[in-house]
Amino acid sequence: MIEFKQVSFAYEGSGEGKLRDLNFTVKKGECILLTGRSGCGKTTVTRLINGLIPAFFPGKLSGEVWIDGREVSEEPIYRIAEKAGSVFQNPKTQFFNMDTDGEIAFGMENNGVPQTQMQQRVNQTAEELGIEKLLGRSIFSLSGGEKQKIAFASVYAMNPDIYLLDEPSSNLDEDAIDDLRKHIALLKQQGKTVIIAEHRIYYLRGLADRIFYLEKGELKHTWTGEEFFKIAMEDRKHMGLRSMEHKKDKGLLRIDGKSSGKKEEMLEFQDLAIGYGKKVVLSKLDFKAFTGDIIAVTGHNGVGKSTFSRTLCGLLKPLAGKILWNNTALKEKARLSHSYMVMQDVNYQLFADSVEHECSFGIQNPDYELAAKTMQELGLSEYRSRHPNTLSGGQKQRVAVAVSMICKKEILIFDEPTSGLDYESMLSVAGLMKRLAKMGKIIFVVTHDAELMAEACTRILQLEA
Amino acid sequence: MSAIRFDPRTKLVLLFMCVLCTMFAPSLTYELFLVILAAVFGLLSGQYRYTFFGLIAYCLIFLATKLSIYHLTGIWQAIFIAFFGLVNKVYPCGFMAGIMIATTKTGEFMAALYKIHMPDSFVIPFAVMMRYLPVVKEDWNSITDAMKMRDVSPSLKGTIMHPVMTAECLYVPMMMAASNTADELSIASVTRGIENPNPRTCLTKINFSVKDVLAVCFILIYFIIGLLIRRGLL
Repeated sequence: MIEFKQVSFAYEGSGEGKLRDLNFTVKKGECILLTGRSGCGKTTVTRLINGLIPAFFPGKLSGEVWIDGREVSEEPIYRIAEKAGSVFQNPKTQFFNMDTDGEIAFGMENNGVPQTQMQQRVNQTAEELGIEKLLGRSIFSLSGGEKQKIAFASVYAMNPDIYLLDEPSSNLDEDAIDDLRKHIALLKQQGKTVIIAEHRIYYLRGLADRIFYLEKGELKHTWTGEEFFKIAMEDRKHMGLRSMEHKKDKGLLRIDGKSSGKKEEMLEFQDLAIGYGKKVVLSKLDFKAFTGDIIAVTGHNGVGKSTFSRTLCGLLKPLAGKILWNNTALKEKARLSHSYMVMQDVNYQLFADSVEHECSFGIQNPDYELAAKTMQELGLSEYRSRHPNTLSGGQKQRVAVAVSMICKKEILIFDEPTSGLDYESMLSVAGLMKRLAKMGKIIFVVTHDAELMAEACTRILQLEA
Repeated sequence: MSAIRFDPRTKLVLLFMCVLCTMFAPSLTYELFLVILAAVFGLLSGQYRYTFFGLIAYCLIFLATKLSIYHLTGIWQAIFIAFFGLVNKVYPCGFMAGIMIATTKTGEFMAALYKIHMPDSFVIPFAVMMRYLPVVKEDWNSITDAMKMRDVSPSLKGTIMHPVMTAECLYVPMMMAASNTADELSIASVTRGIENPNPRTCLTKINFSVKDVLAVCFILIYFIIGLLIRRGLL
């Protein structure tokens, strides 16, 4: 049983994610969904349960959090870890081992489980979660979805009573989300307590017993699962929540269909084969894209979406075939100067010490007038002297887009721009893409977000191996 | 032939002896044989590709060193000999460490370090560091991609033409990524009980067997031979 008694918390040096006067009790075996806008404090709640607050994240804490009659802040984290297992959002950095077996066993090794018993438990875990074929692999050979499964398995192997999942679906494709759903159902069957902090809520229909809605750190509403999934669409949008239904992308034209745009400028793929080294990842890509298109690039985790975007940008050479721009073949170098990718982790592509400098960084004879105009257009003028790292995720994304506009790139690729975003932030990304398309750019967006596709995309490119 | 799995403790001993051997190396030829020994170890451990290229790279360094000794004069000779002297001291150890990292799982390393009674305050940071290296590689790739799209080339030419800008491009995002990564890795490990003071167990059995004794004997003998040559006794 988990109990929050008048819990308030504020992170040191940041106003984001603070909590105010939280009171609730979670019974054993319940499945709780914590939801709300970005920065509402749902992740903070999970950190209070697994003990990362106050041990790892300093700040001002008052009130008490109790698990099974013990106060969390009085216990060392490793004691809590035996009771409450945590799965996080970023698959890249939640691993400690280089191999999958070692990773699944990691928690048990720390707790000193005997070797023979451990091997048995690893196999049992793999069997129950249906991931036998992931055993004995290198972590670095796995796709994002597979990594997430290993992270889950690693916690499952420790067999805690409580599971804390912090946006577990944000990097997953549809099938992987289905598997996640099955795994959560399995936990419920075993009588485990499950607490999930999530934006994406549709897959929790029928699983979540109660829903906690947080707003600015306060617990605003509590619903039962039945009540919650009956909320009208308008109200749901008003609360900044993502879709409760699973939308299929059937409204969208397949890429081989006709384009909606004008037929002036266009990008053409002729019998393209892509891959790394000699290994072909995808072949026979044959299609045209026109200015004004917003093309959703989808497909399973690991199908080659990033290989596709990197090839399109000119970071990789195609293994066969051509990419044409207005009927002239473009080499890698030319593609690099025509296109720009807004990376999923935008931090990699911001280099300068202010937004203003970022907008002219690395450009020979920068056009300051254009830079100022672009900043104005994207609502960045007021942050012109701020350091990019002090901006929010969405603002950083817009800085990257501003750079692409100033460099006069015609082809833009967004890599998972809405992963982990609430409804309003997703809408603003969609709005940005539509504006860029109107300016006559060709937009590709690599995404699993069906709601974003429905909102912004004109066509869809489904990659299949 | 399938790869032989050496005990992680053996690998640590080998690495340590490698450092001693290069410290007391009596000649360049001695270092060449040391690298060859390491290569044999690499092949036995199943690291064929790495060993092959590592050995070829060293042969080139070896030749270049010989050339600068015999075919250069004056200040150039001094500069090159000093440079290659340093490379020769570091290379065998780096080569050995590479084989060690590639063939040892994180869990094994930690178990081995605990078995030789290293304290938590050493083992945990060491394990985090081991795990961090591959992340650096991924970060590096993403950043150089971003640089290329900004027309700031991470190539040699770009570095020479605009050294300050290239450095800025790399270190700003690298630092950002590094601090995030360090936090997230630590969180991933503490929430799974890495700080548990109970004795740690290990999924893979590690035991010190005949093959390990042989490997350690080999390097000890080689080290003693080196010392003897140095003293002029051999």
